[in-house]
This record gives sequence, C-alpha cells and structure tokens, in this order.
Amino acid sequence: MGKFGKEFAKGLIISNPVLVLALGLCPTLAITTSIDNALGMTLVVLVVLVGSSTIIAAIRNFVPSIMRIPIFIVIIASLVTVMDLIFQANFPDLHVSLGIFLPLVVVNCIILARAEVFASKNPILHSIADALGITVGFMLALLMISSIRQILGTGSLSVFGFDFFTLPVLGKYPIAMFILPPGAFLIIGLLMALFRWRGVMKSE
Amino acid sequence: MPAKEALKKAFPVILLTVVVAVSVTLLTFTDRLTREKIEYQREQKIHRMLFEIFPNMSQYTLENDIYTIYSDGAKVGYAFIAIGKGYGGKIDILVGLEDETMIKGINIVSHLETPGLGARITESPFTNQFTGLDIANVALRQDGGQIDAITGATRSSRAVIEAVRTTAMEKVKLLKDSEEGE
Repeated sequence: MGKFGKEFAKGLIISNPVLVLALGLCPTLAITTSIDNALGMTLVVLVVLVGSSTIIAAIRNFVPSIMRIPIFIVIIASLVTVMDLIFQANFPDLHVSLGIFLPLVVVNCIILARAEVFASKNPILHSIADALGITVGFMLALLMISSIRQILGTGSLSVFGFDFFTLPVLGKYPIAMFILPPGAFLIIGLLMALFRWRGVMKSE
Repeated sequence: MPAKEALKKAFPVILLTVVVAVSVTLLTFTDRLTREKIEYQREQKIHRMLFEIFPNMSQYTLENDIYTIYSDGAKVGYAFIAIGKGYGGKIDILVGLEDETMIKGINIVSHLETPGLGARITESPFTNQFTGLDIANVALRQDGGQIDAITGATRSSRAVIEAVRTTAMEKVKLLKDSEEGE
C-alpha cells in the first residue's frame, strides 16, 4: 500500500472522524434521523473537504501562518455556499431537512481540523487522499448511526423513496425515541465504544 | 530596500484580497447558474402551499403581490406573502384570506429559526391557530389576542403573528382601494 492508500485508509477506522476523533458531533447527532440526510450531508462534506484540502495544500507555501485561519475560512465558506445554492436549486427537500446544518458545515471542525492539521503541511495528492479517507469515514459513521436510528425509530428502511423492508412488529410500533435526540446519543455512544474496543484490541 | 520591505508587509493583505476576489467570482457565478432554478422551486412550493390552504383551488392569478384564488371560475379568496423578522432571520409566511376580514390559513414558506424551538412555527399546532380568525384578533394571548405562543419561542411566534396581522391589514386596504377604483 502506497502513501496515498495509507493516508486514505487511516480515516476509515483508526482515526474515524466521528467515532474515534469525536469531531463534528453536532451535525452528526442532528441529521442522522434518516439515511437520505446522511447521504446528503456526506455529499456536502465530500465536495467541501476535498475542495478545501486541495486548494489549501496548493497554496500552503505562500500563506503566512498568521493569515492562515482567515484564508481557510474564506475558502471553506465559499465552497459551502456553493453547495448550499446547488442543493437549494436541485434538492429542495434535502435542503429543508438538512436545514441550518448545511450552512453550518463552514464551522464543521472536521473540515477545519483537516485544513489545519494535514492539508496546510502536506502535498496536494496526500491531502486529497486524506480528505477522501476522512469523508468515507464520516460517511460510514453517518450511515451506521442513521440506519440504526431509522430502522428502530420507524420500523422500516427506505432510501430516497425506495422501500427496502418493513419489519413485522416494529413497523407497526416503532420506537420513536431513536429518531429523537436521546436515540442519537445512545447509538453514537455504543458505536464509539465498539470502535474504541476494536482499536484497543488492534494496538495490543 | 524600503519598497521591498513594504511589499513584504503588504503581502498578507494582498493575498487575502486575491483569495476573497476569487471566492466572490465563484459565488457570483454559482448564483447566476442556480438563481432561476431556486426561484422556480420556490414558486412550486408556494403553489403546493396554496393548495393546502385552498384545497378547492382550480387556478390563481398574481397581481401586485396578491394571489387571487379561483375555484371553477368563482373567486374564493386571496393570498400573499408576509415577511416577519424572526430570531434567526427573515421568515416568509404565505397567508390565505377567506374574504377581507377572515384568515383561511397560513403556511411557513421559509425561515431560519432554531431547530426544535423557533422552527416549530412550521408545525400545524401553531399554524392551525390562525385558521378562521378575524385579522384584528391575530395577536398573542398575552397581548389580548387568541394565539398561544410556542413554549420557549415567544419571539419567533410573535414575529409570525405581527407579520401576518400588519401585512394582512395592508393588503386588505389595497384590495378595498382597488375595488373602489373599479
């Protein structure tokens, strides 16, 4: 596995942004009520994170360190606004259900952390690999949390209008708590414990 | 030497200016590309919401920002957009009037209120309270009206109520004036 593969793979499990690094918890807890939301959020983060990492890695040698935060924020905010407008024009329903959390990607600490910790110190190709790995890791976490919450909270699994299955008993009596905030905390806590436990086993 | 020194000092400023210029160009470009579609989506949404307020609507016309609703050729009501100043920003409210005094129903078109608190202005327990009210009675219960505020979101609730009442009064005046003119 080359350096590119290594930078990519570390984001998936060992330094999964949500479940191990515990970054970006606010949007994660809020939008994981359905798989549609999780995929929409992933798309925004994919474009913004890969875009900002590429640009920041490309200009890293010109940016004086005192100016880096304002410059990073301008770049990230521009990309987020572009995505916000594109979503508003093409996916109005998704735009409504992501609500305030779409523009708030500007201050998402996953993106700023990658800019600060990685992209500002590494060449473009490695930064792209890192961004992609982190995005896939973010997607894995969102998909795990949202599918568990959706199945337990609504008793069925459907993605963008395609119904996959409806559980016999849960379909009729869903556990609404899992769609509400307590369900988000419970599921994310259990998944964090699982990732931590697997991580500890590996390092021993 | 001083020129070189000055350039070195000015470099961060120049760099940030360039970055902002590029970003403004990108945003203007995206805005141009998406504006028409966003406007279209908004019209679709208003159309859907008009149907929710006037289920028997067969067609409508838009003149001077007032929608006139027809059902099989007969006039059944009016609608317009009221703009409220909420806690998080602008709230666009679609207001339907049964006649020149009574509210038929309202619907929130867009808002920027806090999820779980102010954002509950979009939910039917709040919006249904407006249905059948006389325009003059559109006020919070604590202000002598008939509408209960959302718990923990008095400011958002009041923003909607004030916008509905003041805009409704303005529009009704316009309607009456134009009828007299005819």
